[in-house]
Parts: sequence; C-alpha cells; structure tokens
Amino acid sequence: MYTPPVSSLSNRHIEAQPSASGGLTRSQSRWGLLFVSPFFILFMVFGLFPLLFSFILAFSDWSGRGTINFTGLDNINLLFQDNLFWQSMLNGISIFLLYTPLQIILSLVLAVVLNSKRVRGFRFFRMIIFMPYITNMVAAGFVFQLLMNPQSGLFNQILALFSVAGVPWLDTPMTARISLVVLVLWAWIGYHMIIMLAGLQTIPQDLNEAATIDGANSFQIFFRITIPLMRPVILFSLVLSTIGSFNLFTELVSLFPSTRGSGPLNSTLTPGLYIFNQGFGNFRFGYASAVAYAYFIIVFVIMMLERRILRSHDT
Amino acid sequence: MLKLMKTLLIGILMLSLGSVALAQDGPSGTITLWGWAYDSMEATGLIDAFNAEYPNVTVEIVVYPSGDLYQNLQLACSSGQGAPDVVQLENSRLAGYVALDGCLSDLTDQVESIVPNFNAYKWADAERDGRYYAVPWDSGPVVLYYRQDIFEQAGLPTDSESVSALVSTWDGYLEVCTTIFAQTGHPCFANSRTANDARLYEIVLWQQGLGYYNADGAVTVDAPENIATLEKLAEFWSAGVTSEAQPWTDPWYAELGGTGEDTAATLVIASWMGVFLKTWVAADIPGVWGVAYMPAFAEGQVRAANDGGSTLAIPAESDNQDAAWAFIEFMLARPENQITQFAYNDFLPALEATYTDAIFNEPDPYFGGQTPRAIYLDVAGKIPVATVYGQYYGLMNGHVATAIQRFATGEVDAQTALTEAAENIRRETGLQ
Repeated sequence: MYTPPVSSLSNRHIEAQPSASGGLTRSQSRWGLLFVSPFFILFMVFGLFPLLFSFILAFSDWSGRGTINFTGLDNINLLFQDNLFWQSMLNGISIFLLYTPLQIILSLVLAVVLNSKRVRGFRFFRMIIFMPYITNMVAAGFVFQLLMNPQSGLFNQILALFSVAGVPWLDTPMTARISLVVLVLWAWIGYHMIIMLAGLQTIPQDLNEAATIDGANSFQIFFRITIPLMRPVILFSLVLSTIGSFNLFTELVSLFPSTRGSGPLNSTLTPGLYIFNQGFGNFRFGYASAVAYAYFIIVFVIMMLERRILRSHDT
Repeated sequence: MLKLMKTLLIGILMLSLGSVALAQDGPSGTITLWGWAYDSMEATGLIDAFNAEYPNVTVEIVVYPSGDLYQNLQLACSSGQGAPDVVQLENSRLAGYVALDGCLSDLTDQVESIVPNFNAYKWADAERDGRYYAVPWDSGPVVLYYRQDIFEQAGLPTDSESVSALVSTWDGYLEVCTTIFAQTGHPCFANSRTANDARLYEIVLWQQGLGYYNADGAVTVDAPENIATLEKLAEFWSAGVTSEAQPWTDPWYAELGGTGEDTAATLVIASWMGVFLKTWVAADIPGVWGVAYMPAFAEGQVRAANDGGSTLAIPAESDNQDAAWAFIEFMLARPENQITQFAYNDFLPALEATYTDAIFNEPDPYFGGQTPRAIYLDVAGKIPVATVYGQYYGLMNGHVATAIQRFATGEVDAQTALTEAAENIRRETGLQ
C-alpha cells in the first residue's frame, strides 16, 4: 500500500520572515533554493521522470532492453480487449467495496473509544492495534494461511465449536476476497486509527461540553459534531484505502503463493499486481505502462467522486 | 552508503588481486553469484575446491529467492548496471532472458564442444539462432511419489515395480486412485480446481512432446491434443479422488507430511521434490514415501517428462567473464563436482557423464530402501523435447492456468477455455 507523508496543516503558518531590509537578499534566496533542492532533485529523478517515461512507454512495445519501438495506439486497442485487465478493475472495485467502508467505520469507532481517557489502559490497546501495521506482511500472510487452513485452521475450528460448517477461506473467489479483506483490515486498521485519533484530538473539547450542557447525548455528539468535523480526516483515510485496495500487492503474494497473488480464478488480481506481472513477469513494459495510465485515470475519477460526495455535505 | 563501501572494497580487492594476477596466469578478481541453490557448492566444500584451483578468484554469493532474482536481473539488464557475474535461471524463465537482447553473454565458443555431454532437451531454452546463452545445471525428471502405508491400507502392492506396473497409464492411475479413495478415504493427490497452477497439465503435455507452440512458433494451446490432455486430467476431478489443496501452501504441506485422514496418497512431480520431502515437507515420516514411474499417456508411450530445472548464465554486463566461465565450467561441466552436489541435494545433474556413478544404485533409507535415483536417471534419459517453456512461458502459463480453473469449476468446457486462452496469447504475443 502507498502511504504518503501526512503533511502538517500548520506548515502554512510558517512563512519566511522578511529580512530587515524588507525582502530576501540574493544570497539568502540562493541558500533557500539550495535547501529545498534535495526534494526537487529526488522528486524529478524518482517521481517526475518515471511518470513521463512510462507515458512514453505506453505507446511502445518495449521489453525492458534495446530500442523503444513505437506502436501507436496498439496498446490502447489491446487494453480494451484485455479481459484480465477489466477483471482486475472489477476485483479492485469489489475489494474496495468490501474493505473501505469497514475500515473507515471500524477505525473511527476504535479511535473514538480509545480517545476517551475513561477507557482503562487505552495506551496499551492503541499499541496492540497498531502492532500489525509494523509486522512483516510476508510472515503475516503465512500465519493467515495457517489460520485459514480449511481442515486444521483455527478459524474453521472456532466455527466448528458453533457447529458451523468449515469455510474454504482461500479456495473460492468470494471467500478469497473476504479472507484478503480480513488480512488487510487486520494489517491497516492501526494506521487508520492513528490518523483518526490525530483528527479527533483537533476537535476542541468545549464544543462537546457545550453540546452536553444543551442536553445532547453521546450519540448526538458523535453524529452531529464528531463526524462533521472529522470529514477532512475521513476523506484522507478514504483516499488512502481506495488507492490501497486497487494497489494491493504484498498481501496478495503472501496469501496466495501458488497463483502468485492472483487468487482462485484470478479473483484477487488487482490492477497493481497485474501491472507488475505484465512488466516484470512478461517483459511487456510498454503494455504495463499503458495499463498503469488507464488504471490511474479510473482511480483518479473514483477519488474525485469521493471528494465530491464528502464535500457536498459541507454546506 | 553500504553499496558505496562495498564498491570501494571490491575495487581495492580487485586492485590488489590484479597485481597478483600479473605474476600468475588464469582468471582473477571477484565474481558475484545470484541464485538460491548454491548451498550445494558451499556445504560440500566445492567453493573451496574452486578456490584451490583458481586462487585469484574470490566468490561472493548473494542468495535471492527466485522472484526477487528475476526482478533484480530484469532491472540490471534494463539499466545496464548492477548485474552479477553468474546468475541462476530456471529453464522456464531462461528463454525470456535469452530473448532480451544483450542481457546474457553469448557462451557459444566455450559451450559448443560440451553440448553433447548434457541432456539434449535442456538446451532448447538456452539456444537462440544457433548461439548458446546458458549451461544446464539440473534436470527435473518427473516420477510418481506414493505413500506405501496408504497403498498397503488400500490393499495395493507397495513395492516400486508393482506400483509402476499398476500406474502404467493415466487410466491405470485413475483406477488406483479410485481404489485408494474407496478403501481408505484418502485423496489420491492435490489438484486444486480454483487455484490450479497448470504444472501437472504441463507435465502431461511434456511427456507427449507437446506444449504451447509448435516448431514454426505458432500457438498450439487450443490444439486438439491439448484439449484431449486437459479432458483426460479432468477425469480425476469427475471421479472426486483429488483434494483442493493449493500447491506450496500450508494445507498442501500438511497433506504430504502428515499422517491423518486427509493426507494425499500420491504426487506426480519432478525428482527435486524428493529432497524437499526428505528434509522438510515430510521429514518426520521416513520410510513411508516410495518412488515409481509416472503413468504414460497411452499404453506403451513415454513415461518421462520434465518439470523445472535450472541453468547458470553470465550477464553481458559482467566485467569478469573469464572467472565467471571458469566457475560455471568447474561446477557444472565436471562430472565429479556435479556428483558431489547430487549427493548433497538430489538435484539430478543434466551432465550425462555422471550417470555411471555408483551413487545411482545406492538404496535410500528415506524411501524405505528403494533406489529412487536409478529411476530418476532412467527417466532423465527419456525426456522428450517439448515446447512448454519458451520466451513467453510466464504469459502462456498464466492464461492456461486461468483456462484450467474456469474449466475445472464448470464455467466453460475444455475447448472453449483453451480456445479463449489461445486467443489471448495470440493477441498479446503477436504469435500465429
């Protein structure tokens, strides 16, 4: 999953102090440029260049070595006939629908509960819930394979206690997606909870107190005050988990080793994994780049929609 | 930082070695090896023996799991930087790298005289336009591993010869499977429907000399023989004698190494599985597994196929080609050194001069005193040339695996599934 650095809102308050003469001197601005240059150099080398280069590659059949032959719109043509790409988009959407609402609701509820100082040992629970985030995913994937073993796995043994028939967790398309969502929820809930906690702590206490004095109960406070004020934080979390669910990779490869991450009947093949397979597996960097751009456009539209929906409530 | 220091250190080392080399002949310097199976050279003292013969060469082994290795080699070949001097490549992946212009060194001059010394089929992926780019390491002769205890429980004979006779064809194998399932309830083997990786199907294609394309390079994924092969394998699903365990996952290991009700009775796979069974997958149950010949597709036909196997190659970027070649020649082209490795890991050498060694007739206590190596050897000599592996293997395997999954779960019939896979492959590769 992709985790961009959380840019601090307070940055905008720190502005360059004007010098005594009322502006930056030439040498000061030179030093300034020097200090910010590492970011721009790294961004150009590792961000901007690959972005532009893969755009060029999207119109070629480059295999990773040798000259780049341009093939016009061939890749785009192929893309429209490529069932597997469209299936990977549908997989991404169904994983997104299964995962994102659960992730947002659970991490928000956990954050609200653990934000309350009345919960005994809240620091301990915060740590426990955050732990999976720093656990190695390959190891976690293997442990989940053991837990989800249809015969001897712990999950099915627990179900058997309640006389529920065993679930073939990793063997059918739908259960495979659910199993994946369980693993991803487990791994990422701590991260999202921390974001939500940070958001909760920016809500002034006096608002809650005022509401209490006016006779509001805690549900009313949660739905009328907490959620509206948390909207930007929820949007951030939502955008992250949207990108995440289309871009799953390590989780897939560690949970479904025999299909190299694609899962039963390609049910967990995400666009991110598909791009990797086409590029590094099949030496089709040109086509992989075309897929990457198509996927980017689609996910970008989805994120714009999410913004629209969350923003429209602001008025 | 670490990388910089490493480069500096290597530089200093090379300078100092270079000055020594002036006084002596032969290759010198450091060679870096990428791969995952060099333990057969380290643990057996072969690296030391190599250094005794080439005192000026320093060997540095970098262990990579295969997935990471391919990714890094791909990057090294694309950027022209960071490639090692010697790289382990599986035959299934080799042709892809051979086709990548200028990625691997042309070894024709060194290899030409020793080509006949190795299994003929192993060269198919190493060669392109009459030039050779890799040297075969081990072969993957396919055999039938079977559980002697389960066979006994089912009232079947347990010695290798009788079992081989029983499973003389895939039809005979199906009968054995049905008996075992009826008598004991044990699944005959694992063959996942929803997550099938097409490896068993490829084995059955291979034994018939078939594959995914023909001599003209045209795609044969939807050829009648291929469809018939898939339908033959499907009889095991219809009979309900297989389990759904996905290969290389925990349930699969449990089926092979356990003693409970769910354990599988047989496994058709290459001989390198023997050492995995012995050392970790089923290390707790010695004397239980046995080895027999795999079934023929039809009575009297070949009972041999290949599955997997590796080679060593030299990336073109390597600036120490001589030392790299000296290493490959020492490890792979000399019978005594291949035998040393074989005794350690049971990876059958592709070098045929080793086949007269006494080790092949030694009984193996793990396999209840049977002589599985004699079977491996016999099979290796009979493996037909097939067109399963090749430049587009990864892509073809992916589409065919999807086709098998769709067919096995009843979504479409075998013909439709393979025809659609073939269409996808043709569109994506531009082949006929």
